[in-house]
Amino acid sequence: MNDQNFDNKNTSFSYLESRPLHIGASVPRLDAYEKVTGKEKYAADYYGENLVWAGVKRAGVPHAVLRGIDFSSAVKVPGIVRVLTHEDITGSNRQGVIRKDQPVLVNDKARHCGDAIALVLADNKESLKEALDLIVCDFEPLPGVFDSEQGLRNGAALVHEDNADGNRLLKGEIKTGSGSDAYKECDVIVEACFQTQSQEHAYLETEAGWARLLANGKLEIVCSTQTPFRDRMEVAEALGLDPTLVRIIAPYPGGAFGGKDGVTVQTLLGLAALHSGGRPVKMWWNREESFVSGTKRHAALMYYQLGAKADGTLHFLDVRLYFDTGPYDHLGGVVLTLALEHAGGPYRIPNAQLTGWAVYTNNPIGGAFRGFGVTQVTAAVEQVMDMLAQKLGMDPVKLRLKNATKRGDRSCVGKTMVCSNGLVECLETLSKHDLWKQADDWKSSAGPFKRRGVGIAAAMQGSGYGPVVPDYANAKVELTSDGKIRVYCGVVDMGQGNASTNLQIAGSILGQESGQMELVLPDTDRTLPSGSASASRCTYTFGNALIGAAETLKQRILQRAADLFMASGPHEMALIPGSVRHLPTGREVPLFRLVKFFQDSERIAVHHFRAPVAADNIGVSPEIKLHGLPHTLFSFGACLAAVEVDELTGAAEVKRFLAVSDCGKVLNPQIYQQQIHGGIAQGLGYALSEKLEVEKGRILTTGFSTYIIPTASDVPEIDSIAVEIYEPTGPFGLKGVGEIATNGPLPAVANAVADALGIRVFESPLTAERILEAFASNGRQESSI
Amino acid sequence: MRQVSLPRTLGELWAVLQRQPHSAVYAGGTDLFVKIRDGQLNPESLVCLERLTELQGVQDNGDELFIGAATTHSKLIVAESVREHLRVLVKAASVLGSPPIRHMGTIGGNIVTASPAGDTLPALYVLSAEVEIRHCEGSKRIPINEFIIGPGTVDLAKGEILAGVWLRKHQGWNLSHYEKIGRRKAQACAIASMAAVLELTETGKVKRARLAWGSVGPTVITSEGVENALIGEQLSLEVLKNAGTMLDKAISPIYDIRAGADYRRMVSKAMLLRLNDYACGTTY
Repeated sequence: MNDQNFDNKNTSFSYLESRPLHIGASVPRLDAYEKVTGKEKYAADYYGENLVWAGVKRAGVPHAVLRGIDFSSAVKVPGIVRVLTHEDITGSNRQGVIRKDQPVLVNDKARHCGDAIALVLADNKESLKEALDLIVCDFEPLPGVFDSEQGLRNGAALVHEDNADGNRLLKGEIKTGSGSDAYKECDVIVEACFQTQSQEHAYLETEAGWARLLANGKLEIVCSTQTPFRDRMEVAEALGLDPTLVRIIAPYPGGAFGGKDGVTVQTLLGLAALHSGGRPVKMWWNREESFVSGTKRHAALMYYQLGAKADGTLHFLDVRLYFDTGPYDHLGGVVLTLALEHAGGPYRIPNAQLTGWAVYTNNPIGGAFRGFGVTQVTAAVEQVMDMLAQKLGMDPVKLRLKNATKRGDRSCVGKTMVCSNGLVECLETLSKHDLWKQADDWKSSAGPFKRRGVGIAAAMQGSGYGPVVPDYANAKVELTSDGKIRVYCGVVDMGQGNASTNLQIAGSILGQESGQMELVLPDTDRTLPSGSASASRCTYTFGNALIGAAETLKQRILQRAADLFMASGPHEMALIPGSVRHLPTGREVPLFRLVKFFQDSERIAVHHFRAPVAADNIGVSPEIKLHGLPHTLFSFGACLAAVEVDELTGAAEVKRFLAVSDCGKVLNPQIYQQQIHGGIAQGLGYALSEKLEVEKGRILTTGFSTYIIPTASDVPEIDSIAVEIYEPTGPFGLKGVGEIATNGPLPAVANAVADALGIRVFESPLTAERILEAFASNGRQESSI
Repeated sequence: MRQVSLPRTLGELWAVLQRQPHSAVYAGGTDLFVKIRDGQLNPESLVCLERLTELQGVQDNGDELFIGAATTHSKLIVAESVREHLRVLVKAASVLGSPPIRHMGTIGGNIVTASPAGDTLPALYVLSAEVEIRHCEGSKRIPINEFIIGPGTVDLAKGEILAGVWLRKHQGWNLSHYEKIGRRKAQACAIASMAAVLELTETGKVKRARLAWGSVGPTVITSEGVENALIGEQLSLEVLKNAGTMLDKAISPIYDIRAGADYRRMVSKAMLLRLNDYACGTTY
């Protein structure tokens, strides 16, 4: 068993047509062929001989004291290997990133329906299911907290009795200028309350993994994760193991979007492997389990007041945010902190009072999701911007342009924006686009029972971890013994395409085509610690490290070749595909030959990069700083939705969508567009249809027949334009593109619906039912029907 | 493990059904397998009808068409005779599920599942479809509205199967309309739906009308009140609005995870107004 190799293999691309890997070229994704032909091995594809299936008994109740677990019938089911409970865990039995408050297996009480109570190991799936059904939990029900505002009131049931702040996980307060007092100096004030819903990540591949305990005591876990290096520490601590004995192997996840930013199956699999008698263990949540137990985008309640001078100069912002973080921190405090930082959008607002609470409830767990708190507040601020424009009688693009931050301006939290900033270019490009210029013609040509509206939104998205938590990467590049270039990726590629981009970066620097390149996916034993695949940071941080490693290796290769050819120096040498060439004479030495003149220790180059952090002290508490505020690098965007609303049904259909984004220089236009398109599709689902129905902590929509994600027919033709402002600190001028596109669709669509109907729907998603209700109660009598 | 039988002749089918009377009978399985996975159903064995040639395809029998129960929606919507004579059925089946569902799911399955949201059902009601029931000793024909008793319930005894539907070819409708309101454009269960066939005179007066609504009652809802309010009238918003008032008594929508009862009530009437598009000369 143990001699089987379950590593992430060294992927070579020599079987594909070899392609040059120039920076800026639309090189087809090097992972595409294996993925579309089904050859790529995901975490869910690991089996092996003598396999044990592991499964979890879930609480099924939102809040209850666990008095006992009766698994006497379950262990009698033929094919059951073990039933494990919290008593079998010798470590801390706690997981989490900032506050470690989530049990691996519940030891005191259930805090949401998806809590894990017992872990069952079985020879096959059928026995596993039967045994899980036979486990009886003795629960003493407790009153629950199902609403974040309620959770903060005196007398609310407590989710964590040991938390000194009651149900408050984190409160953040930021005041700039004269704060709330500035409202007196405004000529116009608009006020609104927005409610945004929980959103499911809905990845194709549900949470899955495979683990085994080797004879030497090493625990190997293959899993679908964004965070292999953090997982190693979390698993070790929760299970009481030496972290160096835990190895995490991270194949490409089949989608993640933040839902795999942190432990899902990992610790449970580790625990199972410790008790499976050396047999490999597999766990694979089904869709319902993924819904019930996985994290969600935080539902948010947001109170906004935005004030301006008569000429449209923004002057004052007052915001109160309530984020429902569910029963565990996960990354809830960090999500709230990003929301606070972005609460004023990408605008100059000199006076702000921003307050936010991340609140424990017995609802599903709130966690990381593409946009990470920014999506919620962008929905709010971009709608109050439109309300303000209307009140001022100003064009919504002009109002945004008037207040857009430029490099060197301060954001609403008082942070000086030092990075490249293409917001003005984004807005100007949008305003010159036909979809904006010809909006009136398009709107006036609506068919019977249709009304059309055009809405815009701008956004920014901070990237990286903020001022305290080190945002670093360590790249490793190898000249293999057969003369190939192997790139060891320390950051997961969950589908964004960064693994392929890494090859493009290294190939470009080392003058190699795809056929000469090899790739190793993240593995705590083979690749170097490089942080999480999150926060729009992957290619920015790892790319910078990779440039250093590739340049080092390049110099070493050129120098060795120059010495070999007795050239006057490496400046006479050039790397060409498969070889090094002496330019003055045209003589070449193939890399597979040159490498024979290398010792093993020279074939590998490594480089460390740590992202710059904000230098300014903006006076926030150390706790808020720890949670990531302020950021120093931002991507920007402006988008437009052309929406047609059906007066009879209320259905809003997005007919066209335009996104103009500043994510720095684009290394691969195809991969860039895929990120923008995907972000928009996910944002449109959030805007229009994705509605997680939760009743007293229970999710009623646990599958895709009731939880409605967009299909190909629901996503319109998208125009996407890159405003490529060079970012001096980025690899080849790049900034992150992973999240920015997902923030604009909800406010742009809501603004378009308001433009079409003259009424605003303050609660998302904007389902046909909500729109029709608002329309019927407001404007029906005035309409043509 | 469950036994799955795939009879190729009716003789084999009757034998299997006699041997295993508690089998679940299916064709495409797009409804049944979802229920089995959910644990709503746990049949001892399965009998699949899709290999029975008698239940496949569309037959032209002079004045009538026979659509075999195991005909998939994708085959149904490309059948020439169906396209020529039963346009409302084509419109309804074209928005059922998604391409993969239409490739697997069958018209017989849609009928027997008897969901109030079944997309072909309102169309079959307005076309006065009759279903053919077969058993080992013979067959019978009954109107579809008598066959479907309630949500998920049909008048089918043990040992009987739905063999197909009979539809008259020349029904004289010159307006065929189907609208489905779902939560997205494809792969969506109807929140409410409406099938309408009308015969309009050259001057646009309604000579005859048949209308049926889905998802707003335990089974498909028809309303003579609405139909009578249209007959003899020139299609107009006033007439359609007035006809809609007759609908209130007929429908009994529920609140569920997809929509509220009030919304269903509102859109049931509102969908009627869409017929005004035809009066305006919009071609569909």
